[in-house]
This record gives sequence, C-alpha cells and structure tokens, in this order.
Amino acid sequence: MQIKNGKDFWAGLMFIGFGLGFTLVAQNYPMGSAVRMGPAYFPTVLGGLLAVLGAMVFFRAFVSKFSEPLKVFIFRPMLLIASVVIGAATYFADSQLKGAPMVQYALTGLALFLFFGAFGPRSMFLILLSVVIFGYALKPLGLVLATVLLIVLSAVGGHDFRKKEIVILTVVLVIFGVFVFVKGLGLPFNLWPGE
Amino acid sequence: MDYALIHNLSIGFGVALSLQNLMYCFFGVLLGTLIGVLPGIGPVATIAMLLPVTFNLSPISALIMLAGIYYGAQYGGSTTAILVNLPGESSSVITCLDGYQMARQGRAGPALAIAAMGSFFAGCVATVIIALFAPPLAEVALKFGPAEYFSLMVLGLVGATVLAHGSLVKAIAMTILGLLMGLVGTDVNSGIARFSFGLSELSDGIGFVIVAMGVFGFAEIITNLEQGESRDVFINKVTGLMPTWKDLKDSSGAILRGTALGSMLGILPGGGALLSSFAAYTLEKKIGDTSKFGKGEIRGVAAPEAANNAGAQTSFIPLLTLGIPSNPVMALMIGAMMIQGIAPGPQVMTERPELFWGMIASMWIGNLMLVILNLPLIGMWVKLLTVPYRLLYPSILLFCCVGVYSLSNQPFDVMLTAIYGLLGYVFVKLECEPAPLILGFILGPLMEENLRRAMLLSRGDATVFVTKPISGVLLGIALVLLLITLAPAVQKTREEAFVE
Repeated sequence: MQIKNGKDFWAGLMFIGFGLGFTLVAQNYPMGSAVRMGPAYFPTVLGGLLAVLGAMVFFRAFVSKFSEPLKVFIFRPMLLIASVVIGAATYFADSQLKGAPMVQYALTGLALFLFFGAFGPRSMFLILLSVVIFGYALKPLGLVLATVLLIVLSAVGGHDFRKKEIVILTVVLVIFGVFVFVKGLGLPFNLWPGE
Repeated sequence: MDYALIHNLSIGFGVALSLQNLMYCFFGVLLGTLIGVLPGIGPVATIAMLLPVTFNLSPISALIMLAGIYYGAQYGGSTTAILVNLPGESSSVITCLDGYQMARQGRAGPALAIAAMGSFFAGCVATVIIALFAPPLAEVALKFGPAEYFSLMVLGLVGATVLAHGSLVKAIAMTILGLLMGLVGTDVNSGIARFSFGLSELSDGIGFVIVAMGVFGFAEIITNLEQGESRDVFINKVTGLMPTWKDLKDSSGAILRGTALGSMLGILPGGGALLSSFAAYTLEKKIGDTSKFGKGEIRGVAAPEAANNAGAQTSFIPLLTLGIPSNPVMALMIGAMMIQGIAPGPQVMTERPELFWGMIASMWIGNLMLVILNLPLIGMWVKLLTVPYRLLYPSILLFCCVGVYSLSNQPFDVMLTAIYGLLGYVFVKLECEPAPLILGFILGPLMEENLRRAMLLSRGDATVFVTKPISGVLLGIALVLLLITLAPAVQKTREEAFVE
C-alpha cells in the first residue's frame, strides 16, 4: 500500500483523533436515553461519526487520483511527543503540584512552547509565541511593554526584519494603543507594570 | 406595495437616520473599508477584529456598525483585487481576473467606479428584497417546533458543506468537528462542564470570536508570511474615475444579471458573497461577446461585484428570520447579537421591530455611504496599499490580541486563539475548508438543544423528524442536495468550477 495523497492521509488521522478523543472524554458524563439525552449522548454520536468520516478520508489517501507529498508542512514529532508527555504529567500530577504553583505554570508553559514548536515554519512559532506572551504579559507588565514585546517578536518572525522601521512602528502603535484602546475605547488596561 | 411595508420601513429609517446611528454606520463603513483594503484580511477577520469596538454600544447601533463594517470590508476587498491582483477575501477572487487586467491597461479608475456603482445598485435591490421576503418567512418560522428547527439546521449545514471548496467528506467532517467544539462548556440541562478538563476558563465554552480570529485571522497571517510577498501596485495609473458611455452601456446588463443571481444565491444556506460572484462571472462568460474575458472586460468586473454585494445582503434573510447563519460572516453576526443579549430568530421582528427594520434601512444607507465615501477616497486607499506587509501584520496582530483579550480580560483566551491559529494553519495545509467548522461551532449547542427537546416531546421516537411535514421536507431537501453533489457528473463540474 502506498500513500498517494499526503493531505488526505494527515487530515484523516486528524479527524479520527478528534473523533475518538471527543467520544472517549464524553464517556465521563451520563449517557441518558434517547428520550432524555444526557450530556454524553450527542457528543458520542458526533464523535463516532467524525471518526468514521476520518477513516474514509484516511483510506482515500491510498486510492486518491490526486498525488500529494506526504510531507505537507514542517512537523517535528519529537517536540510533539515531549510536549504531550510533559503536559500529561503536569495534568495528572495536579494534586502533588498544588503546593508549588510556579512549577506547575512553568511545566504547562514548557509543554505549550514545545507544542507550538512542533508544527509549521519558524515564522508561525514566533508569531503565536508573541501572541501568547502578549496575553500573559498584559496584566503584569502593562500595555506599553506588552505591545513592545508583541511587535518586536512578531516582526522577527517575518522574512525581512528592518530595525529602524520596527522601532518607529512600535512607537507609533504604542501611542495609538494608549490613546485609542485605553483613552478612547476605555478598555481597562494598565499602562505600566504594577499600576 | 402594501401599507405595512411602508410603515415598517418608515420605522426603520427613523431609527437608522438618527444622528448617532448614521455616525456608527459611517464609522463602520469607513473602518471596514480601511481594513478590508489591506490585502490578506477578509471580512470575517475584519469583523472579528472590530467586534470589541461595538461592545459598549446599544444593540441597534452595534448591529448597524457591524453591518457597515461588513459592506466596507467587502468593497475594500474589491479595491485591492483590482489594484494589486491580491484578493482581500475570497469573494473578490473573481474580480481579480478582469479588474487587474483593466488596471494594467490604465483603466483602474473606471473599474473601481463600475464596481462601486454595481455594488450600490445591487445593494438597493437586495434591501427591497429583504424588506419584502423577510416578514412572510419569519411568520412561517414562528410555527417551527424543535423538530423543524433541528432539520432546518441540518439543511443549513448540509448546504454549507455542499457549497464549500474541495472534498465533500472533509467538509462534512469539518462541520461535525465544529459542532463538537461548540459543545465545550457547561451543559444547560445537567450543569456538567463538558470537555473542560477541569479548567474554569473552559466551563463557559469557547468564544466564537476566539475560533474565528484564530482560524481566519492568525492562520491567514501565517500562511501569508510563509508565501512571502510579491505585489505590483498600479498606483500611478489611477487617473480619471469616470467610466465612458460605452463602459456604462456594456456593464448595465451585467449589473442587472449579477444582482438577480446574487440575490437568489445569497439566501441559500452556505451561499452568500463568494458563491454569488463565482456564479455571476460564469454566467457572463456564457453571454454575448466573450472574446475579451480575462483581458480586461468590464462586464467581468461589474457582474461579480454586483452579485457579491447582493449576495452579502440577502444572506441576512436566513439570519434575521430563522436565526440560522448561512456563512461565517453571519455566524459572527449571530455571535454579536448574542453578546448584545438578543436571541436571533423570527421573534426579533415582532418583539424588536425597531431593531429589525432599523438594520434593514441602515443597509441601504450604508451602501450609499460606500459610494460617497469610496469614490473620493480611492487615492487614500491606494496609498494604504503601498504599506509593506512586514509593517502591517504586527499591527493586525496587536488589534486581534487586544480584541480577544477584551472579550473577558483573560490571558487564557489569547492563548486559546493562538492554538486555533495553529489549527487554522493545519486546516489550510490539509485543504480542509474552515467555513463549515465555524457554522457548526455556532450551531452545535442549538442543535443539541432542539434535538433533545424534539426527542423528549416525541417520547424518544426518532421518526418524528420525517413524519412532521415541514421537518420531513427540510431533511428531504438536505438529502437531495447531498445526493446531487455525490452524483459523478456534478462532481466533475464542481471540480471544474472551483478550479476556475
């Protein structure tokens, strides 16, 4: 058997994964009956259906008339495995880690970091990272510094990084953000750390 | 014309013409065009990005502004298509073909003017169509029980998958994945937080803005960066906006045909701007002198532009009368209505007539503003196009992040959006169309609720969906749609249609 359509192959696996995942997790909830459907009923049906459709897409990959390479985008399996292992360990060790929230945060962060790094090009990693950092930095660091971090880090993710331009862009966007988001729209952001 | 229609429209114009609402409509159109002009940002991302701006407004002002943003983004996309050959969104892909050729021949001005006029004409017609057809449809919808609603949603989702690009199986799978993701969060009947993994942030469910912004906004930026940029802007060639008499004569028929086709296709589930513009172009290519198509034929700009605007507007009909979104933009509008505390559905028209008719009136005003605003401002939009993407995307990211964060001031939401951005990238790479996913996501909880109620009422008898006449007919149409798409002949032409 030869995989002819790499896109179908991976898409099939993805759908099967999601389908089985939702079905399995749903088994933790009461199923109910057809008359009084419990919270597990609808997701179990849908999850099963999704897995079946995924299997169809998966098997089509072997007989497809369209030829697509198996390598659709950059994928680093080791990083994904590491991420899943760390993530699962942190999740199941929840009770032991209760006393050390910092360790818990650091491990969760590391798992996410590895997860984002496992797929796609460098630019995607940097852009998504800049977004996540902005989200978590906004409260402790304030809008000004969080914006600087977001712009600089995401700009590094592009192909063509020009220092001068980025400095100007950052200044403009910080001023814009302060006046439009905070003063104009009245969004409740602090501007500086610890305000 | 009956008396009620005039009465209703006068209520609507009374609301829409208030100074405040005129202002919001204007800002919406302006902001929408401003962001829509930027290449690589479609209406969905634009609306998702600007949604937080409307949170503090009254419901009617918020909806008027969002509708304005939608037309603005739509029209901005056409400008980009004509001038840079880069469609800002999928519904202006077709405008690129002849519009860009016209720009290369130094006729960008007439192309832009005809696009604006065609859109305005289509907008006027579509507004009247909504005013005429929405009330009777809403009356029918008021008689719907849970079984009918469930079947209607099935039909809507099937329609969306049938009309999606590419593989049908993948589109159905994406719909179901969307339905499942929509179920995350607390179950209304049992109070159990499903699929939340003990995270309190997930117990309220995943916000639809998060999904839309990640899958459409972030994923677009990532794929754009991966492809690198290559753009040729025909800036110096925008001279003289006025089309010649011959242009007007040539395009008037195309505008009429485009409007008619667009108005019809917009109502279909899964239809809207994209399908309308494709269909209108294909129709034009079959009529009259076809030698100039692809080489700067003005009819090739006029027809799809009229059609996509007509389709964009009539796709509000299923939303306003049935509460069912027919495309991702409408899914966002439903989300916006829910945030404003309005349950979308047929009762909106009877309970909040000022909201319903005000919005319809504002559609016409918004279209008028588009023409007034865009023809003199084209110079400014052209300048905006010369801003390099390397400066644009960090700015877009900032808007998206602030928008997501301000939903509930939780960093977790921003992280979740990043995860959806990653998923969106994977979807693009695996050729899985994300539009059905968003529709499923919005409809997931509604479908489950109606399914449960219908089964409870029928005491567990599943045949109720077929034996109730309206429900049975709706399911029948869905089945026929699916079978037609699966028929070998149609599949072949479908492939060809999307290749074009």
